[in-house]
Amino acid sequence: MTEEQRRVPLSIPLDIAQKNVDPLVSPDNKIEFRDYSFYYRKFKALGNISMQIPTNQITAIIGPSGCGKSTLLRSINRMNDLVPNVHTEGDIFLNGENIIGQGVDVVDVRRRVGMVFQRPNPFPKSIYDNVAYGPRLYGFNRHDGLDEIVYNALKQAALWDEVKDKLHQSAMALSGGQQQRLCISRALAVEPEVVLMDEPASALDPVATLKIEELMQTLKETYTIIIVTHNMQQAARVSDRTAFMMIDDPERRTGILVEYGSTAQIFTNPKNKQTEDYVTGRFG
Amino acid sequence: MTKATHSLSNRRPPARWMIRLRLLLHYGDRPWNTLTITMAVLTILLVVAIGILLWRDSAGSRAASGLNFIKPTSDASWNPVSGEFQAWPFIYGTLITSLFSLVLAVPISLGAAIFLAELCPDWLRAPLGGIFELLAAIPSVIYGLWGIFVFLPDLVEPAGKFLGATLGAIPVLNIIFHGPIPASGASLLAASFILSIMITPTITAITRDVFLAIPVSQREASLALGSTRWETIWKVLIPYGLSGILGAVILGLGRALGETMAVTMVVGNSIGGSLSLLKPGYTMSSIIANEFAEAVSPLHTQALLEVGLILFILTLLLNILARMLVWRVGGGNVQGARP
Amino acid sequence: MTSNTHVWLGTSTRQLIQYRTGRRRRKFTNTLMIAFTALFTLLALGVLFWIITYVVIKGLQYLNLDFIIHLPRPLGITGGGVLNAIEGTIILTLLASLFAVIPGILAAYYAAYNPNTPLGVAVRFGTDVLSGVPSIIIGMFCYALIVKYQGHYSALAGSVALAIIMLPTIIRTTEEMIKLVPHTLREGSLALGSPEWKTAISVSLPAASQGIITGILLGIARASGETAPLLFTALGNDNYDMGRIIRAGIANHQGVFVILGNIVTQPVDSLPLTLWKYAQQPYPERINQAWAAALVLMILVLSLNIFTRISVQIRANRLQGK
Repeated sequence: MTEEQRRVPLSIPLDIAQKNVDPLVSPDNKIEFRDYSFYYRKFKALGNISMQIPTNQITAIIGPSGCGKSTLLRSINRMNDLVPNVHTEGDIFLNGENIIGQGVDVVDVRRRVGMVFQRPNPFPKSIYDNVAYGPRLYGFNRHDGLDEIVYNALKQAALWDEVKDKLHQSAMALSGGQQQRLCISRALAVEPEVVLMDEPASALDPVATLKIEELMQTLKETYTIIIVTHNMQQAARVSDRTAFMMIDDPERRTGILVEYGSTAQIFTNPKNKQTEDYVTGRFG
Repeated sequence: MTKATHSLSNRRPPARWMIRLRLLLHYGDRPWNTLTITMAVLTILLVVAIGILLWRDSAGSRAASGLNFIKPTSDASWNPVSGEFQAWPFIYGTLITSLFSLVLAVPISLGAAIFLAELCPDWLRAPLGGIFELLAAIPSVIYGLWGIFVFLPDLVEPAGKFLGATLGAIPVLNIIFHGPIPASGASLLAASFILSIMITPTITAITRDVFLAIPVSQREASLALGSTRWETIWKVLIPYGLSGILGAVILGLGRALGETMAVTMVVGNSIGGSLSLLKPGYTMSSIIANEFAEAVSPLHTQALLEVGLILFILTLLLNILARMLVWRVGGGNVQGARP
Repeated sequence: MTSNTHVWLGTSTRQLIQYRTGRRRRKFTNTLMIAFTALFTLLALGVLFWIITYVVIKGLQYLNLDFIIHLPRPLGITGGGVLNAIEGTIILTLLASLFAVIPGILAAYYAAYNPNTPLGVAVRFGTDVLSGVPSIIIGMFCYALIVKYQGHYSALAGSVALAIIMLPTIIRTTEEMIKLVPHTLREGSLALGSPEWKTAISVSLPAASQGIITGILLGIARASGETAPLLFTALGNDNYDMGRIIRAGIANHQGVFVILGNIVTQPVDSLPLTLWKYAQQPYPERINQAWAAALVLMILVLSLNIFTRISVQIRANRLQGK
C-alpha cells in the first residue's frame, strides 16, 4: 500500500474532514502535535507540545520518569480517553486530519495507530486467535484470507518461524520476548499506519530486547514508529529522531518538550543545557 | 560508690508467685492457640455434623422406601398415614423452578454486572452496587408477602395466561407450559419468577467482582486494536472470566434450590401430577416447611429428613463446584455477595 | 477514491467494502448492547423500588403505636400488636450473637493468621459451604439436636439456629478486617515481649474492631430476617412478653437464673414468623397486620444494612484520605 493510498481521509463526511486538513502541513509528516496540552482534572500533565513526526522513521521520546512521555504517546491513539476527568487543548494531526475533536471516529483512529505495551498482554487464546482478533472484528474469516493475514503479520514480527507449528496452542505458553512479538504482530494484522511502542523491551531480557530492536528497523520501512524509552542507549541505537521531554518546574510538574531533532544531533550536539545534562547522564 | 539507682538490671528479683503467674500468662499462648484451632475445627465440623445427622435420622425412611423415594413417576404418593413416601414431585418442583429462574436471572444479572463493572460512570458505581445489595438483604418472607398480594396478580397471572396461550400451543414446550394458570397465579412459574428476583443480586455481585478482577491490560490490548467497548466485553472479557461467571450462576442456582419462605408462599403447595410450570406445585423446601412441625409419625419425620438430605447434598455439591470455579479467576480475591 | 460519501482505508476494494460495512454495524451493536445493560440494571432496581414502595404504603396504613406495644389480640378486638414478635426477635438475635460472635472471631483469627495451613484453607472453604446450606436444613439440624432432647421448642434452640446462620458472615468479615490490620502493629507488640494471646486481645482485635462490629451487624441483619430455621425451633408464642415474665418471677421470688431460664426456654415468636403465619390466614385483619409487620421488619433490616455500608464507605474514604 503506497503512501498515496493512505492519504484517503478518515471515515467522516468529507466536508468535515476538509475542515480539519491544514494545507500548510507538510505531506512528509505523519503526525503533528500543534500546541497540544493534556489536563487531568486541574493538573496540566502536558504543556503546549508542538512537534512533527516524519513518516517511515523511528522517533524516540526520552526523558526522566514522570515527565509525561507515555501520556504523550497514548494521546496519539486516544487511549487517554479511558481515564476519567481528562480534557485536552490543541490538536493532533494524523496525515493532516485532526484526530482530536468532534466527529472523529476513535475506533478507527485506534486501528490506524497501533500500540504495543510495556508488559506483553496477549489474550488467553491461541496464537492464531490473538493475531486474528483484529481482522475478525472487521468480518474477515478463513474464507476471506484470514490465514494469509495472520501469516503476514507473524512474518513481519519475525515470529512466524518460531510458532508456525503451534499456531493453535495458547499464547500464554510463549516466552516473554515471544509474547511481545506476538503483540506486535497482533497490532500489525489490522494494517496500521503508525505503531506506538511504550517501553516495549523494558520487561524483556537483553537477547529478546535485541530482537525487538532489529525488528523495528525492518518495520520502519512500512510503518511510522514512535517509541517511548527510558533507556537512552536504546534510543541512540534505534531511532532516527529523538524528542527530549522534562517537567517544567517541580511545583507545577507539567511535561514539556525541551528539544527535538535528529538523534545524531541530540546525542552529540544538544542545543539545550538540560538535554545535554540528561544525555550525558548527569541526571535522570 | 554511687548509690545504685533504679534500673532494670539491678532490681530485686520478683516473688516466686509472680514468676509462676508470668509463666502461666506466657504459656497462655497455648490455650489461646488451642482455642482458636478448636473454633476453626468446630466450623468445619458443623457442616459435617449436619450431613451426618440428616443421614442418621432418615435411616428408617431410607430403608423403607429405597430408591422408590426419588424415582420419577407421574403418580407419586406422599401419604403420611399409610407410610408411602415418594418425593419426586418435590424434587421436580425444586429443579424446574430453580433452573427456569436462571432463564430470566442470568441475562439480567450479566447485563447489570457488565454495566456496573465496565460501563457505569465512576460516581454511580458505589450507590448502584449498594442498592443491589439491599435487594439481597430483603427477608424472604417479605418477598413472599409481596409475592402473594402484588406480584402474583399484577405480573405472574397475566404472564402465565400469555405463556399458556403462546408457548402452550407449541408441541414440545406444551409439556411445561400447559395452561391455564390458576386465577390466583400460584404456580411453579410464580416461584420461578420470585426466585429470579431473589438470586439476581447474588449473581450480579459475584460477576461484577469477576469483571473487576480482570487485569486492565486486557482491556487496553483490545481497545488499542480498534475494538468498540462492547466488542471488548464480549470477545475478551467474558471469555476471560467465563469460569467465574459460571461459578456465579451456579451459586445463584444453589441459592434458588434452598430458598424456602417466598417459594412456599407462592408455589401453590399441591402435589399435582402435571409437569407444567403453570400449575401449582411443590418444592423440597416447601414440603419440609409445611409438614415438619406437625409430622404425624416418626416415619413421616424421617421421610422429611430424607428430603432434607437430598436438598443438602444438592446444594453442597453445587456450592463446592461454584466456589472452585470462582476462585480460579480471581485467585481467591473474588469475594462476591456477602450473605 | 474520494467521493461525497464516507470512504475508508484498505488495501483492496474488497477489503474497503468490508471495513465500511463493518463499521456501521459494529457501532450499532455497541450502542444497542450498552443500552441493554443499562436497561437490565434499571429493571432490577425497578423491582426493588416496587417492593419497597408497596411494603411502605401498605404497612403505613396499618402501623400504629398499639402495634408495637401490645400482644396479639383475638380477631375482632382492636389494639392487637406484635409485641411478642418484637421481643422475640430481640431475644433471638441477642442470644444468637452471643453464641456466634466469640467462636466466629476466634475461628477468623486463626484463619487470618494461618491462611496457608490445611485448617486455615478448610475454615475458609467450610465457611463458604456453610453459608450455602439452606436455612431450613439448619433448622432441622437444630431441631434434631436441641428440641428433641429438650422436649419442647425454645428461644434457645432458635438462637442456636440463627447463630449458625450468622457464623459465616461474622467469620468472613472478621477475617478480612484482621488481615487489614497493618502487620507492623502486631509485630511491634510481639517484639515488645507480649504473648500472642495478649497481642490479639489488646492490639490486633481492637484495631479491627470497627470492621468486626460491621460484620456482626450484618450478621444480625441477616439473622433477624430468617424464618425457616425458626419454624421448628422457636415455633412461635402468642403470649411471650418479657416484662410479664420478669414481673412474675420477681413476684414469685424466683432467682435470676430461673427468670432468665423462663425467658429463654419458652417458644418465642419473631417478626418474620409472625409475618409468615398471618400472611396465610384468610382474615383481612391478619393480613393487614402482616403488612405492618413487614414494614417494621424491613425498616430494621434495611437500616442495619444501610448503616453498615455507609460506615464502611466512610472508613474507606478516610483511609484513602478523602
